[in-house]
Amino acid sequence: MEILSPIERREAARRLTELSKQNIALCLQCGKCTSGCPFAVDMDLMPHQLVHLAQLGAIAELIRCESIWYCATCFTCESRCPVEIDIAALAEAIRLIAHGELDERFGPDSISDEVARNAPQQALVSLYRKFAK
Amino acid sequence: MKVGYYPGCTLKGKAKSLDETTRHAVELLGSSLTEIEDWTCCGATTPLSETRIANLIAQTRLLAKTRDAGYDAIVTTCPFCFSTLRRANLTLQNDEIKRKRMNTYLAEDRRLRDYEDPPPDWIDYEGETPVLHMLEWFRDTIGFEYIARSCGKSLSGLKVAPFYGCQLLRPADELALCDPEDPHIFEDFLNALGADVLNFPARIDCCGSYLSVARPQAALRAGHRILEAANKLGADAVVVTCPLCFYNLDEFQPKMQEQYPEFHNIPILYFTQLLALALGASPDTLGLESHTVDPTELVRRVHESIPREVTA
Repeated sequence: MEILSPIERREAARRLTELSKQNIALCLQCGKCTSGCPFAVDMDLMPHQLVHLAQLGAIAELIRCESIWYCATCFTCESRCPVEIDIAALAEAIRLIAHGELDERFGPDSISDEVARNAPQQALVSLYRKFAK
Repeated sequence: MKVGYYPGCTLKGKAKSLDETTRHAVELLGSSLTEIEDWTCCGATTPLSETRIANLIAQTRLLAKTRDAGYDAIVTTCPFCFSTLRRANLTLQNDEIKRKRMNTYLAEDRRLRDYEDPPPDWIDYEGETPVLHMLEWFRDTIGFEYIARSCGKSLSGLKVAPFYGCQLLRPADELALCDPEDPHIFEDFLNALGADVLNFPARIDCCGSYLSVARPQAALRAGHRILEAANKLGADAVVVTCPLCFYNLDEFQPKMQEQYPEFHNIPILYFTQLLALALGASPDTLGLESHTVDPTELVRRVHESIPREVTA
């Protein structure tokens, strides 16, 4: 994993801010997002940690975490954040950068034919829009 | 106001009973809803980044079609459709660049459609067609008092846990349907049917959404937690509006039983199945055979206790 210089990290933080359209600099680490997230228990990095790492421009760590692939986009985090940050939008921005930098994390072969046949159409459309390249 | 009914892909596929009971209930209420002709997929989700805005094309196309077909508004039961369409309108109204890009693309797309019989020119869509959820339409166009009179307390004694899920409520500043932490529109609707509406603490939780396909173990845990809460309250059924909530909470109950031996099954019902039932519809018109957890016994019991003057 490459080590980024302070300038590169500042650039990464700016890129995440612009891409997600979220003012991540405002985060005061209150933890309400993490408390409300129904899938925080499955995540390696907690939602509030994702925001803090984003502030620090730690893009190499962020794109490699499991957390962004456990986000159900339920917006509980966004609903509760006192400074109105949409952490789900940040997770989406990190996924997009991950698509560009890493091998495919989620694609057509990620689900079985049986599941694909049985799942509601909205599940497949939304899942692939959220997780696939 | 002429309102166009938009079922969406899932209601014509996995969730036919939601579509059919919606139409049936509307008929029993003495009203009518016209399905938008030749509708297309809404895209299901809203792009949250500044680059993936192509994911707004489906929404723009559908809403423009609704407008061009002469409808003043679009109404849908699926919360994914509702959320993405309502949010798309706001984006198109407020973000000039995205509005221009969507319309430029779709205008060009229209021109390329058919050289021999060119369709009419694209008229820019700017977010003018309001998007309604069926609960809003029931509340504002039909009226909960009218529904209550038509149902006549048919479902009294039936203990229901209303499950909103996430897409109906959040992000609240854009959807503006109800207070995201303390909503009441679903409870008001169920009260109109005369049901015994429980104070359900898990009502605004997430069922797992698409994670039931990508991360099934995580979604199973989330779904189980929600249903455990309903069971603890002594609910007869959990009522939903969303086909994905239905799938996650109904179809995975056998797996929940395997993983959590103390768990006992609870029927999941669509809000329109309950509405049709309350209006006197026969249980075999409700599509109950598609459920994994069989609600037939419960539904028949309710149907038999409905006063005769209500039944169709």
